[in-house]
Amino acid sequence: MIADIVANLSLGLSIAASPEGFLFLLIGAFVGMIVGLFPGFGPAAGIAVLIPMTFGLEPTIAIIMLAGIYYGSMYGGTITSILINTPGESATVASTLDGYPLAQKGRAGPALVMQAIASFVGGTVGVILVTALAPSLADFASSFGPSEYFLIIAVGLLMLTTMMGENKFKGFISALIGFAIGTVGVDVMSGQQRFTFGSAELIGGVYFVAVAIGLFGIGELLHCVLNGQHRQPAKKLRVSFRSAAFWPSRQDYSECRYTFARGSAIGFIAGVLPGSGATLGSIIGYSIEKKIAKDPENFGKGEMRGLVAPEAANNAASAGAMVPLLSLGIPGSGATAVLLGAFLMWGLQPGPLLIVNDPGFVWGLIASMYLGNLILIALSIFAIPLFVKFLDIPYVHVVPVIVLLCVIGAFAINASIVETWILVVSGAIGFAMKKYGYSPAATVLALVLGSMAEETFLQTYIISDGTMNLFWERPVSLVLSIMLIVVIAAPLIGMLARRLSRGKTIAGDV
Amino acid sequence: MKKWFAAALLVLSIGYTAYGLSTLTLFTASGRPAAGFFPLFIGLLLVITCAVNLLGDIRQWAAEKATGARHAHRPEPAAEKSAEALGIETAALDGGAEHGRDVLIVFGYVCAFVAALKVLGALLSMIAFMLVFLFTFNRGHTVTNIVYSLALPGFLFWLFKILLNASLPVGPLGV
Repeated sequence: MIADIVANLSLGLSIAASPEGFLFLLIGAFVGMIVGLFPGFGPAAGIAVLIPMTFGLEPTIAIIMLAGIYYGSMYGGTITSILINTPGESATVASTLDGYPLAQKGRAGPALVMQAIASFVGGTVGVILVTALAPSLADFASSFGPSEYFLIIAVGLLMLTTMMGENKFKGFISALIGFAIGTVGVDVMSGQQRFTFGSAELIGGVYFVAVAIGLFGIGELLHCVLNGQHRQPAKKLRVSFRSAAFWPSRQDYSECRYTFARGSAIGFIAGVLPGSGATLGSIIGYSIEKKIAKDPENFGKGEMRGLVAPEAANNAASAGAMVPLLSLGIPGSGATAVLLGAFLMWGLQPGPLLIVNDPGFVWGLIASMYLGNLILIALSIFAIPLFVKFLDIPYVHVVPVIVLLCVIGAFAINASIVETWILVVSGAIGFAMKKYGYSPAATVLALVLGSMAEETFLQTYIISDGTMNLFWERPVSLVLSIMLIVVIAAPLIGMLARRLSRGKTIAGDV
Repeated sequence: MKKWFAAALLVLSIGYTAYGLSTLTLFTASGRPAAGFFPLFIGLLLVITCAVNLLGDIRQWAAEKATGARHAHRPEPAAEKSAEALGIETAALDGGAEHGRDVLIVFGYVCAFVAALKVLGALLSMIAFMLVFLFTFNRGHTVTNIVYSLALPGFLFWLFKILLNASLPVGPLGV
């Protein structure tokens, strides 16, 4: 088993460490850090906008670069969390709680270095676990039938929407919208055209990349404009790593030695579970660290463990999210859904057989994540002054870059003006969804998985002669069905219990 | 606007379901699900959930109207203090007041840009978009705006057309 892993990793390294692989990994990691720096512009948007720029590359090299953007953004997002109390990415919100107070105490340098080390540890532990678990899970999943796949998609989407706090219901609607968009085009089973309105350009369906770039790229950009970021002056910040005060003390390392491990483990589990991802992982990592600390009162006032825990967690989660993506072909978040879309665009067939049919791709990607984390820790520490310089660029100069990349990129994919208009419409919808509490991530996830969900649902229906008994007759399906019921019922029971207790309190008052 | 967006979603959902019902086959002759089965399932779920969602948004709007609650932006005191210490605007930290008019302008420019692609070609449309955008939102920096409006489209044109050999719309100047 270990010999197999070593052999596979060697194969992966030969691809990832090739001059071309290394160059594009470096570009991806660098761009990812910049994407993370700009508040409101997340990794999903960064990957979507830059997909058209990977034309002409080998599929493995292209995905290595796009994945670098994904986990690189986790490193970059914390820089603004620490320096200006503004998380560049939702997964780095928890890092502001102690990161910014540390900067206010004059310890911005040690905070930046410790977050880089925590990110490296979290990311590397995550990739080690991916290396160990992804092949086993893929092997286990190779016996899955359509009922299991449909249930995994349903559980994943429901978990994604139920993690949305107050807006669960709107998240569910967002997923249904994605499924509806996914039904446009020719039905694979019957060959009948659906919702094409006679347009030849829609026969192949609504192209995923244009929708993803619109929802995430243009949608998030318009949201940033709504918040007035384009009217903000540049932030003049200076950080130098030459002074002794820049580096963490021995006490910092000693205090955080177990925090690295705890944060990484929590984050990885959160990343593997569909729907929870890096944001929830970092928040849970922070909460647990605070709960078990002997001095919880110090948290929120510039406690190094309060920064290290969420940072290790969000990077481990971004690696953990690769487990279901590579072994089942099921993404758990908006960013990994866009990555899955890129897999499909490159003709790769995600699922348990991917690792068998295309080992060079899977192991090249996994090996690139080890290298990527090494590149990112070096960039995070020694290039911090350079990244801080990027914050000098006023957002009014960033807006046209994003618009041009989105529009020209969407057109360039298939030289289609219809797809470019789909991008514009998706942008308007994405903006409204973000403003009114819907979930563009759930829409993209459902759009990517829509055809698979339909196919597996219909196969289950046909195999079971319309009784759907496959959902409870097969052991794995039964477990997944129970999970599905729990995910649906738990919030309803919670709501009912709250109403009952409120009713009792009112009755008691009377 | 929230309730109008919810209403638009409901109308679209009804349209999707009705169009699907009228144009697609639900079951084959042998009784198996056909091309319309899954869209109908999704459509019905969409209609029900969008109707409930619209009702909720209308109720919320009515409650806010009754209590006089408004969504006007008030700067957060903590953000105000931090912003003062950092020498930046409070909006950079707490989101700030909304700039709905600017969103409409930017979106209008994006639509005009896409509409101009086939007429002017990629390079000229990009330059025009940049000039109009920057002279709207970055006034007083004439030289910077002009240089930036020529440099960025030039770079992107080189990247997509020359380096990536992508197909871009061609205008009257052949670019």
